[in-house]
Amino acid sequence: MSPIVRFLARRLLYSVVVLFGVLVVVFALVHLVPGDPVRLALGTRYSPDSYNALRSASGLDRPIVVQFFSYIGSALRGDLGVSFRNGDPVTVTLLERLPATMSLSAVGIVIALFISVPAGIWAALREGRLSDAIVRIASQFGVSIPDFWMGILLIGLFASTLGWLPTSGYQPLVGNPAGWLRHVILPGFTVGIVAGAIMTRYIRSAVLDVASMEYVRTARSKGLPPPVVTFRHILRNALIPVLTITGIQLATILGGVIVVEVVFAWPGVGRLTYTAVEARDYPLIQGAVLLIAALFLLINLIVDVLYAVVDPRIRLS
Amino acid sequence: MRLRVALIAAGVITALALTACSTGQRVDLGGATRGNLIAAIAGEPDQLDPQKTSAYFSFEVLENVYDTLVEPDENLGMRPALAESWEVSPDQLTWTFHLRNGVTFHDGSAFTADDVVYSYRRIIDQQLPNAYRFSAVTDITAPDPATVKITVKQPTPNLLVNIGGFKGMAIVQRKNVESGAIATHPVGTGPFAFQSAKSGDSITLTANKSYWGGPPPVSGVTFRFIPEASTALSALQAGEIDWTDSIPTQRVDELKGDDSITLGVTPSNDYWYLTLNEARKPYDDVRVRRAIAYGVDRAAIVQATSYGTATANQLAIPQGSRWYSDYHGYTRDIDKAKGLLNQAGVEGLTLDMMATSEYPETVTAAQIIADNLSPLGINVKIRTVDFATWLDDANKGDFDMLMMGWLGNIDPDDFYYAQQHTGGKSNAQHYSNPTVDALLDAGRTETNFEARKQDYAKAATIIADDASYIYLYNPSVIQAWSKRVSGYQPRRDKAVRFRTAGLGR
Repeated sequence: MSPIVRFLARRLLYSVVVLFGVLVVVFALVHLVPGDPVRLALGTRYSPDSYNALRSASGLDRPIVVQFFSYIGSALRGDLGVSFRNGDPVTVTLLERLPATMSLSAVGIVIALFISVPAGIWAALREGRLSDAIVRIASQFGVSIPDFWMGILLIGLFASTLGWLPTSGYQPLVGNPAGWLRHVILPGFTVGIVAGAIMTRYIRSAVLDVASMEYVRTARSKGLPPPVVTFRHILRNALIPVLTITGIQLATILGGVIVVEVVFAWPGVGRLTYTAVEARDYPLIQGAVLLIAALFLLINLIVDVLYAVVDPRIRLS
Repeated sequence: MRLRVALIAAGVITALALTACSTGQRVDLGGATRGNLIAAIAGEPDQLDPQKTSAYFSFEVLENVYDTLVEPDENLGMRPALAESWEVSPDQLTWTFHLRNGVTFHDGSAFTADDVVYSYRRIIDQQLPNAYRFSAVTDITAPDPATVKITVKQPTPNLLVNIGGFKGMAIVQRKNVESGAIATHPVGTGPFAFQSAKSGDSITLTANKSYWGGPPPVSGVTFRFIPEASTALSALQAGEIDWTDSIPTQRVDELKGDDSITLGVTPSNDYWYLTLNEARKPYDDVRVRRAIAYGVDRAAIVQATSYGTATANQLAIPQGSRWYSDYHGYTRDIDKAKGLLNQAGVEGLTLDMMATSEYPETVTAAQIIADNLSPLGINVKIRTVDFATWLDDANKGDFDMLMMGWLGNIDPDDFYYAQQHTGGKSNAQHYSNPTVDALLDAGRTETNFEARKQDYAKAATIIADDASYIYLYNPSVIQAWSKRVSGYQPRRDKAVRFRTAGLGR
């Protein structure tokens, strides 16, 4: 077995263990949180008979241990159960929501990279000068502005006033690519600007760290042209922290930028999870958290593989 | 490699530039939705089974999909719907409904008396949330396909409201229920048929061309879920949507001056109240409750919670309802309140007030109430919880005071019985007054309108005097729609009916 296959196999096994742990913890947590899903579903007017009828129909009258094992049992077979509210299979609902979340995350992270990579490198190379100060102040603004406020401002300018883009909503990429793009731009920028501001600060300091290394001084003193020093010696070595922060930001966005989803009426997993928690829709909460955990693990795995690709030292060790 | 990156970048930038040039007008939501009225509601229906859901978002959609035997008109009197006419036997114990001819479900199958019996039996036999509305009913039969007989154990003047007051009592189709599709693909007899749903995004209905009330003027209705009110308003102003009730109250004044849209501020039948837990001392003492009622500043609460769009009221039933009766027992009077507390021997009280983030008005009002009551030496500790916890605690009686509202009432029995009758199932405050019980029981069977109205007016006065509920205000239904929309009427029961709405250019 080649080292890379062994590495992947080990990571996959580890991921499965983590996912199982997540499943157990989430199940325990949702059942510990106060709030009765049956009462919520019935609203404020009902008789005790109605309450008991719905409770037993939802299987909530069984002992918690029985519920736990029956849930784990079917989850291991890939069946995450059905929503308490409408009886829809949880997996179907999650898969329906996933494309919107993926779209927003992908566009958001691309925009963030487009902002943060040039800005971070530029600021680092001109450390202490006016341009560095401008980038640092701008990124401080980006980090500090609440994303819902940014979203409302963007809607006000580009949708209400200028009428260039729709205010809200989502179109699937497959079938309506133009509609998809028009709808994803504003929420994408809202997510991307915030993530980009955070990433700019990381990239700047990563580049600065590398630039102060002795081999960079050597490269400069042996007379290499500045672009060669920058691209070959500094940037390549700064890639690892950049990958790390990109992975973290991407996972954060995938895990649910609930506020942005609310402002733009974006049908993502974040809002789904939020409403599921409000309704105490246990199977849906469990499924959504499991999905988010799986995405986190997947991104971690990809980032780890990329480490090995960009840095031979990791590959060989 | 580097060239490819540059190409992708160039592509993205071009695409961005291209989209920026095209104007952001109406969104084509795919499918045959051109010509549809697009309505934005603030949240997603939890399910589409009208007999099982309790969510307002569901009823906003289902109002247009389902019919009831009778239905409320604009003044909330009951008028024919699936039943064309009805009569009551002289002993008031048998109601006979004559059904409309030639009505079909959206899948083309005929609507008959069996569907009515099936729908009502389902609510009763499965103890669905509205089963209590049939508490007086002993039997439901279909002597022939066009007739339904309902037998009751006592004269029931509010039977029509109970079976037709809202779409929770809708006539459903047996096949649709038994296949389990009703929760996601409902089939009704209403003006619009369910067409499609996109999770978290929208539900699209298509016009029922053979609707018994005449085909709707629009080709269909698309309900989009836009939770953020300022986004919904921007979408309305940009012409992306035609109607919304997701409106920030603080912007109502500004919108009144906006010529591009129509704003509807309609008094509703909902009401908000405070109640004190009479199972706990000292709130079992009527003097303490009355002191708090004298301490509360309704005008300030109305201003803070609704920017003045609501109407202060010291009883539940709003002005404009035919059941309205006048009552002005309380005006804010700190000295009187202090005197009452003195008589009760209460000093330096700490009061646990429960509010819920689900209804932001309770959180806002709690702060005002805390301020109102501090001159009385009452220290209000506000506890803000989510609605699930709120329901749990209200049910367990774990509160000193709470603020809540009742929505969608029509008949006075809805307003008072469950909340005020001894042992009533919504009597979380444990109020008990034999005189009130007797009046509420009498109201249930009194068939003379004036006599019945008097019963409820008397009961309501005692309830307010006893400060079982400290009634605060009736909110307004706030909706806005585009100038293109014609023939739409906002309703005081908050039912959203698009069957008569048309779309101009």
